[in-house]
Amino acid sequence: MGYLLTMDQGDDVLKALRKDYRVYAPKRFPQEGRYSDTDMIRYAEVESFGDIVWDTKSDFPAKEVLSPIQQTLFYFTEEEFRASKDPQKPILLLARPCDIHAQEVQSRIYAGNGGFDDYYYERMRNLVTFAMMECNGGDDTCFCVSMGSNRTDNYALAFRFSGDGALVQVADEAFKPYFSGLPETEYHPAFVEENALKVSVPDLDDPEVRGLLRQHPMWKEYDSRCISCGSCTVACATCTCFTTRDIQYGDNPEVGERRRVTDSCQIAGFDQMAGQRELRPTPGERMRYKVFHKYYDYKARFGGSHMCVGCGRCIRRCPECISIAATVEKMNAAVAEIKADLTE
Amino acid sequence: MNHDINVKNLRLNCFRQSKVPGEFMLQMRVPGGMVDAKYLSMVEHLSKTWGDGNFHFGTRQSFEIPGIKYEDIPAVNAYLETYIREVDETLCGADMDTVAGKPQPWDPKSGYPTIGARNITACIGNYHCIFGNCNTFELARKIEPIIFPSHYHIKLNISGCPNDCNKAHLCDFGVIGIAHMTYHPERCLGCGACVRACEERASRVLALNENTGKVEKDACCCVGCGECVRACPAGAWTRDAQKFYRVILGGRTGRQTPRTGKMFLNWATEDVILAVLRNWQKFSAWVMDYKPEYLHGGHLIDRAGYKKFKELILDGVVLNPECLVAEDIYWHETEYRSNFNVKPPALHHTAGPQR
Repeated sequence: MGYLLTMDQGDDVLKALRKDYRVYAPKRFPQEGRYSDTDMIRYAEVESFGDIVWDTKSDFPAKEVLSPIQQTLFYFTEEEFRASKDPQKPILLLARPCDIHAQEVQSRIYAGNGGFDDYYYERMRNLVTFAMMECNGGDDTCFCVSMGSNRTDNYALAFRFSGDGALVQVADEAFKPYFSGLPETEYHPAFVEENALKVSVPDLDDPEVRGLLRQHPMWKEYDSRCISCGSCTVACATCTCFTTRDIQYGDNPEVGERRRVTDSCQIAGFDQMAGQRELRPTPGERMRYKVFHKYYDYKARFGGSHMCVGCGRCIRRCPECISIAATVEKMNAAVAEIKADLTE
Repeated sequence: MNHDINVKNLRLNCFRQSKVPGEFMLQMRVPGGMVDAKYLSMVEHLSKTWGDGNFHFGTRQSFEIPGIKYEDIPAVNAYLETYIREVDETLCGADMDTVAGKPQPWDPKSGYPTIGARNITACIGNYHCIFGNCNTFELARKIEPIIFPSHYHIKLNISGCPNDCNKAHLCDFGVIGIAHMTYHPERCLGCGACVRACEERASRVLALNENTGKVEKDACCCVGCGECVRACPAGAWTRDAQKFYRVILGGRTGRQTPRTGKMFLNWATEDVILAVLRNWQKFSAWVMDYKPEYLHGGHLIDRAGYKKFKELILDGVVLNPECLVAEDIYWHETEYRSNFNVKPPALHHTAGPQR
C-alpha cells in the first residue's frame, strides 16, 4: 500500500503524526556548520514537511535522538536518587537504512552487553519507530553496500522524497489512519545497490596476523595527520562510548545529578588509568584501536555485522581529511604484506 | 620621443612613471582582488600589445602592466573601457560619471578618472578559506562604489578573519571579518579542544569548568576568530548568522611615520561599515578644505585629530547595538623623524576651512 503526498498533504500527515509522536528527522541549521556560511544538518524534531532534509547526508547521525550527546541519567540527594523523567511520548525517527542498521549495532552494545541492560537507552529505544527515508545514493563517502547496511525491512513507514512531496509506503498497518483519504499509489521502496566507494575488510581471524598488524608502521602516519579531536566518533552512526559526570549543585557534594556525555576513544586521555597511565598515548595507536574495533573486535565478540555501517560521516567530518575507507585499504595492503612475510 | 609629459596627470589616470624615460606602468583596479579569470586574457593582451610583455601583481592586488610607452596610453585607455565598465561599473556598481559623489562626466575612452581611492585589497575570505568569517570580495564590491571614483585617498584592506593575512592593521581603514559565537552546552563533550585552540591560536578567553565539564568564556576579549567552532568535534560552538566586522584605523607604512592601525570599531555590522565609509569623502574634503591633495587617509586623521575624525565619520551613522567605538586612539609611530609628536603647533599642518 502506498500513497503519493504533495508537500501540503505531507504537512497534514506530519501534523497528525505529531499529535501522537515526536517526529525526528535530519534538519538544516543554516550557517551553523564548521566553516563560515556552511550549514549544519543534524537530527531535530521537525514541525513542517519541508524541514526534512532528504537530499543531503546529515553531518551527525540519527543516534543523537536515542543517546544525545548529553543526557541526565538521575538526580541524587544523599542516599536517594530519582531517575530522570521518562520521555514517554513515542518517537517516529526518519532515518536512512544505514542509520537504522546502526541502531541494531547500538542496541547490541547497550542491551545485554556484560549481562546488563542500559535502562536509559532501552527506555528511549522502546519509544522509537523507524520511518525509513529511501536513500538517494548518498555521496562519495558512502559505502553502505560494502558493509551490508544498504537494505532494511526494519521500518513502519518508508518515504521517497522529492521536491514536490513524497511517496509513502505504510508497512505497519497501525499507521494507516494517518493517511486515510489520501491518493493511493503503488510504491515499493528502492535501496542503494552500489556505491562509488567500495571497502573490503581484511580477514583478521589469524591472531598472529592481528598481532603483526597492530605493530605495523602504517599506524604511524596518523601520529602526524590525526589531531585526536574525536569528530569521527561523534559523527559515527554506531559509536556508543560515553563518560559519566556528576554535577554537584552547590557546596553539598551529595546533592546533584549524574549525566552521561559522549566521549571518544580518539581524544587523548580517554583511556587514562589511575596513575595517569594511558594505554594508547599516540594518535596512531588510537586510530588503530578504533579501526580494529570497527572492523574486527566488535564482530568477533557479537557476531553478525561489523561495527561500521558505511555511512561515511567520519570521512565527511574529519577536519584533516582522513578517510576511514583509505585506512582500511592501507590495512589490506599491510595484511597482504604480513601474510606474504609469514608464508615465506 | 615626447619629453614634456605631465606625470602628475598620468598618475591620476593610474599610470605610474617609470625610471625609463617615456614609459609608464598601468595599474588596473581589482576590487577585493577577485575577478573572473577571463580578464587575465585582457591583461595578457595589454601587456603583449603595449607593455613589455610582463605582468606584476600590484602590492595592492591591482593588475600592473609595466613598460607602456607614453604615446600608447590613449590606445591602452580605449582598450580599458570594457574592463572598467564590466568590473567597476557593472560588477561593483560604481558611478563613473561622478568624482567623490559629485557629478563629473567620464569619457569612457579616457581610462581611470582617479587614483585617490586605492584598489581595495582582500584575502580570499570565506569564499575558500577554512578560517574566513566573511566573503571579503563581496564586501569590497559593495565598498567600491562608495569610495571610487574619488581623488581623496583611502587604502582599504579587508581580512576575512582576525588572523589578518591581508594586513588590515597596515592601511587607513582595515576591515576584519569577525564572528559572534553561540555555545550549545547540550552538545558539549567537555573535551577541551576549543579551550586549547583558543589558548594556542587566539586570545585565551575559554576555560573548562572542571565541576560542570562545560566551557566558560571571557566574552570581553574574544577576537571573534571562530577557532572554537573549527575545533569542536560536536558542533557545540556555532557562528551566529549575523556577521560582524572590526575596523582597524590609521595604519600605514611609509618613509616618515609608519605605524600599525588601532581598533576603531568592534562588532560593527556591514551596514555600519558602509555608512561610515559614506562619510569618508565628506571628512576628507573638510580636512583639506575641499581641495584634494595627494595625501593618504591616515594623515588626514592626524591633521583633524581622532576626536574630530570620529565626529565627522560617525555623523548620521546609526550604530548597531553591539558596536563598540574607540573613545580615543593612541597610535604609536615609528619615529623616523624625531619629535614628530612634540613639534610646535605652528609646524603642524592645518585642518578645517581656512579663512
